[in-house]
Amino acid sequence: MIETFTDINYSFFGLLNQGPLTLSLFLHLLVVLPMFWIYFQEKKRLESEN
Amino acid sequence: MSRKKVSVWSDNRFWQRSATWVTGFASLLLIWLTFDTMGQISMGNQKDIDNHVVKRVPSATVINYKVEYNMNNHRGHEVPVIGGDDGKGNSLFKVKEKFFGRDDYSQKEADALLHLGKLASQAKNCMDCHTLLGNGAYYAPDLTKAWLDPAWGKNGPMQAMTGKSTKEEAMAEFLQHPGKYPTHARMMPNLGITPKEAVGLVAFLKHMATIDTNGFPRGFGKIKEGVVYAKTK
Repeated sequence: MIETFTDINYSFFGLLNQGPLTLSLFLHLLVVLPMFWIYFQEKKRLESEN
Repeated sequence: MSRKKVSVWSDNRFWQRSATWVTGFASLLLIWLTFDTMGQISMGNQKDIDNHVVKRVPSATVINYKVEYNMNNHRGHEVPVIGGDDGKGNSLFKVKEKFFGRDDYSQKEADALLHLGKLASQAKNCMDCHTLLGNGAYYAPDLTKAWLDPAWGKNGPMQAMTGKSTKEEAMAEFLQHPGKYPTHARMMPNLGITPKEAVGLVAFLKHMATIDTNGFPRGFGKIKEGVVYAKTK
């Protein structure tokens, strides 16, 4: 999925963008994963409130 | 203790926190990307060429050098090759090429020429029909690698049509009198480009062809069938 980095300038985003959808998948993971954490935190709060 | 059934999905706070997270993260990402890009697209200078430093956007003085678009196996696509090829698709920065009879444009002169070309391209609104580096229209040919288009080369029809013996002179002549040289069903209108502006525009085009666009457009200039060659006597 991730190939050897061959771009002129070294870049973190360029590194993630070496395969199909790799940058997109990574960024979506970063966005979605903390939402699970928020979800369970809020669930816990609601359960303890009621 | 038995757990109560709660609905997180209909809870306001969950959505508020999620929206805050997504917006905040996206903003930080955009700021990071901006600085990341700025480093990558900063223009080089003659010192970089002298030291054989490959820049994505090279110095304006590349107009003094021979420019090719060759396959680089390491990169896996074609790259602009400046001043000769080492055989592996890397620039040698050695082989010069006359540009309007000169190959000794100083940094200052080359910068001024490119600046004039850029202003002219904006004043004449090239992007109304053409595409430059992915921006613009596709009504007329993409100009990103126009300098490397074989139609303007030694065996292409444009030098014969304009009666000029070099690529840059043929381009400058065409730009000043596009109506005289019907190349396309969609003819370029006469935009009143002055001789000085035409030189600037050609310098602008030559420099643009040396910008590393990660191999876009692929195989450019290799599809010989796409070019109608002038019949030589």
